Amino acid sequence: MNEETQRRIFDYFQKNGIKRFLGVPDSTLKYFIDQGLEKKKILIATREEEAIGIATGMTLSGSKCLVFMQNAGFANSISTITSLVQLYRIPLIFMIGWRGYLSTDAPEHIHVGKIQQDLLDLVKLKSKVILEQSWKNDCRWALQNLEKNKSCALIVKRESND
Amino acid sequence: MIRKDVMRVISKYVGINPIISANGFISRDLFEIEDKNSNFYMIGSMGLASSIALGVSLENPKNRIFIFDGDGNILMNLGSLTTIGVNSPKNLVHIVFDNNIHESTGGQPTNSLLINLDKIANVAKYRSYRITNMRELENILKKIPQLKGPLFILIKIDKNKQVSRRIDISPEEIKIRFMDFLKK
Repeated sequence: MNEETQRRIFDYFQKNGIKRFLGVPDSTLKYFIDQGLEKKKILIATREEEAIGIATGMTLSGSKCLVFMQNAGFANSISTITSLVQLYRIPLIFMIGWRGYLSTDAPEHIHVGKIQQDLLDLVKLKSKVILEQSWKNDCRWALQNLEKNKSCALIVKRESND
Repeated sequence: MIRKDVMRVISKYVGINPIISANGFISRDLFEIEDKNSNFYMIGSMGLASSIALGVSLENPKNRIFIFDGDGNILMNLGSLTTIGVNSPKNLVHIVFDNNIHESTGGQPTNSLLINLDKIANVAKYRSYRITNMRELENILKKIPQLKGPLFILIKIDKNKQVSRRIDISPEEIKIRFMDFLKK
């Protein structure tokens, strides 16, 4: 996803009530994170589960949160999603960078990239791939889920190799 | 010292300030000692009490927020000490009940027997204290209002065979009443 769209997505969420953005950096989401860093609105955690924990505390305090991570970190977080986010019904927006979307991506990403959708489905975390042409609707979908007290995930494809 | 005796003294001191308590026997003890709407009991997601409390403390700067943590729990999320140190919430009091074992799973050893967790916290920019008896505990509790957090209070406790009952309120109810409490 191009730089301008990523920056606009950040601004859109900020303007529409997301108060806290936190997570573990991912190169697929670089410009989204940069936009937040420039505005001093990003909290970087050491692990994805930690970020979800902090976001839970903020949500308990009435602040809406978005947690960003790479899909490797999503795989790390499954137990935290089932035994904290879902057990206590904590509404969060996850933004997940999809490494291994291209079969030519680095080898460590290939398998998790292939099973990512199955993982999301098994965990029963509703998800949507954000597309360049429909990003605003996709973001609105995520905000609507939050309004209904539900967690959901927005997936950002990694469409080029570095 | 036995965890439950120490916890009883601290819970009384905390009053109606929020407590985030770690999963396992720690939350069960707190539930049995004094159930309050301001207690957030964790069931599962081991290691994350410190992170949840960081989120609560950053959003509620006027309340003093307490963590009831264990040595096994914090060892699973040591990175959170650095995140807390860097974000430096002045209102956070991180209490670790350290018995050098995973008591809830049958008493297997943790690394805290040979590694001083209070020293790690100190390097991570906490103000750090090590408590080994009731007199020291009473002294530090008296001092808390004058101290700038984040505070790390490591309390060395003995192993114990007494097990508190399970928490019988649902996770969602724990959440709702805690959120209602924070809104006031």
